[in-house]
Amino acid sequence: MVIGISQFPQGFHPNIASHVALSLIHGMTRRPFTVYDAEWQLICQLCTTVPTREAGTIRDWTTPDGKDGFAVDYTIRDGATWGDGTPITTKDVQFTWAIGREETSGVNNQELYRRMEKIEAQDAHNFTIFWNKRTCDVAAINDFEVVPAHLEADAASDPSVYRSRNAYDTDPTQPGLYFGPYRITHVEPGATVVLEPNPTWWGTAPFFRKITIRTVENTAALEANLLSGEIDYIAGEDGISLDQALTFEKRHGERFNVVFKPGLFYEHIDLRLDNPVLEDIRVRQAMLHAIDRNSISVRLFEGKQPVADTSVHPLDQYHVDDVRKYPFDPALAATLLDEAGWTDIRKGIRHNAAGEPLLLEIMTTAGNRVRELVEQVIQSNLREIGIDLRIRNQPARVLFGQTIRQRQFTGMAMFAWFSSPRNVPRTTLHSSMIPTVGNGWSGQNYTGYRSDVMDTAIDRVEVGCSEEDQTRHWTTIQQTYAQDLPVLPLYFRANAFIMPKWLKGVTPTGHQYPSTLWVENWTAE
Amino acid sequence: MSSIAPLTGAAQSEPPLFWLRLRRSRAALVSAVILIIITSLALLAPVIEFLLGVDATRVDLFNQYAAPDSTHWLGTDEAGRDVFVRLLYGGRISLLVGLVAALGAAVIGTTIGLFAGYHGGWLDTVLMRTTDGVIALPLLPLLIVLAAIDLSKLGIPEAIANSEMASLYRIVFIIAIVGWTTVARLVRAATLSVRTREFVRAAEAMGASSAKIMLRHILPNVVSPIIVATTLSIGVVILLESVLSFLGLGIQPPIPSWGNMLTNAQELATRAPALAIWPGTVIFVTVMAFNFLGDGLQDALDPRSVRR
Amino acid sequence: MLAFLTRRVLGMTIVLAVMSFVVFMLIGLMPGDPIDIMIASNPELTPADGERLKRLHGLDLPLWERYRNWLGVALSGDLGFSRTYNRPVLDILLPRLGNTVILLGLSSLAAIAIAIPLGVIAATRPQSPVDGAINLFCFAGISVPPFWLALIFILLFAVTLGWLPAGGMGAPDACLFARLEFLVLPVATLTIASLAGYTRFARSAMIEVLRQDYIRTARAKGLGPARTVFGHGLRNAMLPLTTIIALDFGSLFSGALITETMFGYLGMGKLIYDSILGNDFNLALVGLLLATLVVLIGNFLADIAYAVLDPRISFRALEAA
Repeated sequence: MVIGISQFPQGFHPNIASHVALSLIHGMTRRPFTVYDAEWQLICQLCTTVPTREAGTIRDWTTPDGKDGFAVDYTIRDGATWGDGTPITTKDVQFTWAIGREETSGVNNQELYRRMEKIEAQDAHNFTIFWNKRTCDVAAINDFEVVPAHLEADAASDPSVYRSRNAYDTDPTQPGLYFGPYRITHVEPGATVVLEPNPTWWGTAPFFRKITIRTVENTAALEANLLSGEIDYIAGEDGISLDQALTFEKRHGERFNVVFKPGLFYEHIDLRLDNPVLEDIRVRQAMLHAIDRNSISVRLFEGKQPVADTSVHPLDQYHVDDVRKYPFDPALAATLLDEAGWTDIRKGIRHNAAGEPLLLEIMTTAGNRVRELVEQVIQSNLREIGIDLRIRNQPARVLFGQTIRQRQFTGMAMFAWFSSPRNVPRTTLHSSMIPTVGNGWSGQNYTGYRSDVMDTAIDRVEVGCSEEDQTRHWTTIQQTYAQDLPVLPLYFRANAFIMPKWLKGVTPTGHQYPSTLWVENWTAE
Repeated sequence: MSSIAPLTGAAQSEPPLFWLRLRRSRAALVSAVILIIITSLALLAPVIEFLLGVDATRVDLFNQYAAPDSTHWLGTDEAGRDVFVRLLYGGRISLLVGLVAALGAAVIGTTIGLFAGYHGGWLDTVLMRTTDGVIALPLLPLLIVLAAIDLSKLGIPEAIANSEMASLYRIVFIIAIVGWTTVARLVRAATLSVRTREFVRAAEAMGASSAKIMLRHILPNVVSPIIVATTLSIGVVILLESVLSFLGLGIQPPIPSWGNMLTNAQELATRAPALAIWPGTVIFVTVMAFNFLGDGLQDALDPRSVRR
Repeated sequence: MLAFLTRRVLGMTIVLAVMSFVVFMLIGLMPGDPIDIMIASNPELTPADGERLKRLHGLDLPLWERYRNWLGVALSGDLGFSRTYNRPVLDILLPRLGNTVILLGLSSLAAIAIAIPLGVIAATRPQSPVDGAINLFCFAGISVPPFWLALIFILLFAVTLGWLPAGGMGAPDACLFARLEFLVLPVATLTIASLAGYTRFARSAMIEVLRQDYIRTARAKGLGPARTVFGHGLRNAMLPLTTIIALDFGSLFSGALITETMFGYLGMGKLIYDSILGNDFNLALVGLLLATLVVLIGNFLADIAYAVLDPRISFRALEAA
């Protein structure tokens, strides 16, 4: 079977490279200890049971320097074996942790390893992680990707060169690097990755004898490849845009199953709250009333991308519907702008008493056709109520690498967050997370949002782990968000999975853990 | 990419003969007429927009992909905007970019060609070696680097570097600084042949400055290859703009250009092929017309062309 | 001969050195240096970390000194690592270079093989309808946006007719022959773009040659038109054509970039494009230099072909040129 994707992974090390295409491949070649399944429940893959307080596998623990933490027990499942026959043991777990804590090793998610004060091994299968911080989702170690100590120890002896010497990048077809249903048998950089069944896999043998993952970056060409039969299946995780898929379904729906799954990409517009125009909450509210989000969703995406009220996904356990909503209402928007003092309309553009025009700048990723289209719809919508919106787009690497991160946008920035289930919005909404020169531009509160109510709710939701506390604080967070509008919510982006009729058993998850984590269930009819 | 037309520098012909010859080339005449029509339509875009009662920038999500009718002559695009009027506005941008970039390149090329041809010696060697070097380079990757550099790092004022029109200035600039080579070679060749003529000798004997000689005496006599090369390069530039758009480095939306309309429509090729066909066709027709016109001009300006 | 080679190699070295300097400076003007990107992707890095890393990588130095350092290391044979692929740049570039050379070579050959007969046909019947049709075809070839032509080819030959693959390279371990079907559309797209220039040049060179006295003499001696044209004319007409082909390598490479992108063909052009957009500075720099080298070698080969084709010109004459 040939799976088509639109980007090639940048490196193969599961803890150094971080790319949606790579997670798609490693879903088939490796398994995390824990992961959220398609019902968004936390399950074990490499471990035997999810630790809980009730079972005594999550215990309170205090660090030597007096910080509150947890001790959490895991057991590696029986039969977990690297592709070269070496069993996966706690030695590998400790090795992974040690490398993760090395500052120069290039491991991207170092925060995870820093929060693990130590890992103790009871024997070859049982180990305990000691956390130096209390969080409610402590059982989830989805991103702790175990790497083989017996193959990597040499390369890791000098951590500063591990990044370029690790076997995943120097010898990606080495069988001992993988333990999933498949292993990588051939790599042609930029083009294809070939997977074949891994004989040491613990579960049911996968149906397909060979899976080829092919990268075609031009999505029009990707679609053509599917139609001409060179690709069997376009993965929704990293495939074609929604409107392309909608068209595709209309024309070729009888040959392919097109499955739309709203994902965790939250499309929104960050606002600079220190901009004198946007500082006024009535202007922000007026804008959201003036943008016809429902029509955008219905006309451009055939309703497949639901309008968002806040950043919390409707599938999330703590999502609440009881928040302030902003239906399309240009008349109300106009009233709000009048109240805010933008009353003088000249040549269709509102001006204030000082004679300043109501002018704002919006930025997004240049070359992303769908975003550019939505942006132009918004520009047209806002023009109707007298707001002059100027478009200035930049390539993604500039926009994200510099402009947004260093808060160089002057008005609005449209982009998407990729958030995971029950992800506390500390980095994006807490007032301590506003990037400045002083803190080295860390934090993602790009809007400059400061709210005591929000700060308190975020602080509490991280430590109040009872069901009741969680519900209460999550409700406060969502209601405050919708009331204050530091960000204009647009919609949750949907992914399109285009499968041949004969392919069965693929279940899109809607979150960042790919459907390939259950590849052994895939069959052909 | 670039067209390699066999151009030979030649002294200027007498105007009547020139018109006679140009008229004989039917293809060039037809091209000229087509270009005049396209240009006037583009210039009249606001008028046509008003007469048709449409608004090229107004998005109407309830009227996407409409079929052509009496208001929307070529239907509407994925945002419900009128395709015909947008094509006209896009034409303004594409033609403007083509013209200005080609003229810029011609100015640079003429200057270099005049200096190399008139002064000769080591200056000639250096300039012509550089020209040969630039011609041989893989230009597109270099253009991509140029299109990606940060204007504000060059000390260009934020107001310009960040304006909506920045992508337009940038395109014109980068095309001009790589596109001068053809003109430079032609002008140099023509200058070499004019340099030894009597009136130049006379001017030199009278002690005229070299700048004056180049401007007053040589330039008017090398004007025809410049015209031909510039005409041809307008077409090349329009094509190049579409290629840069395809690579995501051309004129940025919301400013429409033929290149970005075509690139945009590419993804929609299966749903609404017309959206890709129209800009593709106008680019094709316009570039072809510039090529035929340039070719015709060359024949008309070249005294040897009688036998060709 | 030896002097000629030395001269050319020296010339190429100068061009490469100038290119490396210019490109290095231009890349320095691109937004977002590698450390900024690293900090962006890792919220835990402090400004002090950033400064430390910049010092470590020599990024705190002025651009000029950075270039000198880079040049020093590069001349010692270490061209550095690619940021995105996490591999030494040559490991990434060389297989791609091979693919591009195949693509360029085949399309050059195809373009010449088609252009010469077309040019000769047009030249022997100037102003005839055939000449007009060939002329029209040539102009069409240089007037069509190349990526648009590629899309039409894909839609027509891969999707609608299903004759050829829409893109890609074929099985990774397949031999060149098995990969041929994947080459047809990219080569055709690229050929059409360069065909026009060659044909027009072949035509005018041929017309020029046919006017020469020795052709008239040959005709007067009673040689048939075919023998006149192919026996005497073609060889002489080929000479200026080789020059044009040499000069065209640069734009051919530019065309390859588009073609590779459209067909998912793993060549250098696409790699360079991706690395520029992906801020993989080192890969972009080395890739551009390698591309320049390929083009220069192409020029060089064309010069040699010129000398081989023209018995009157020896290498000594080339030296003087």
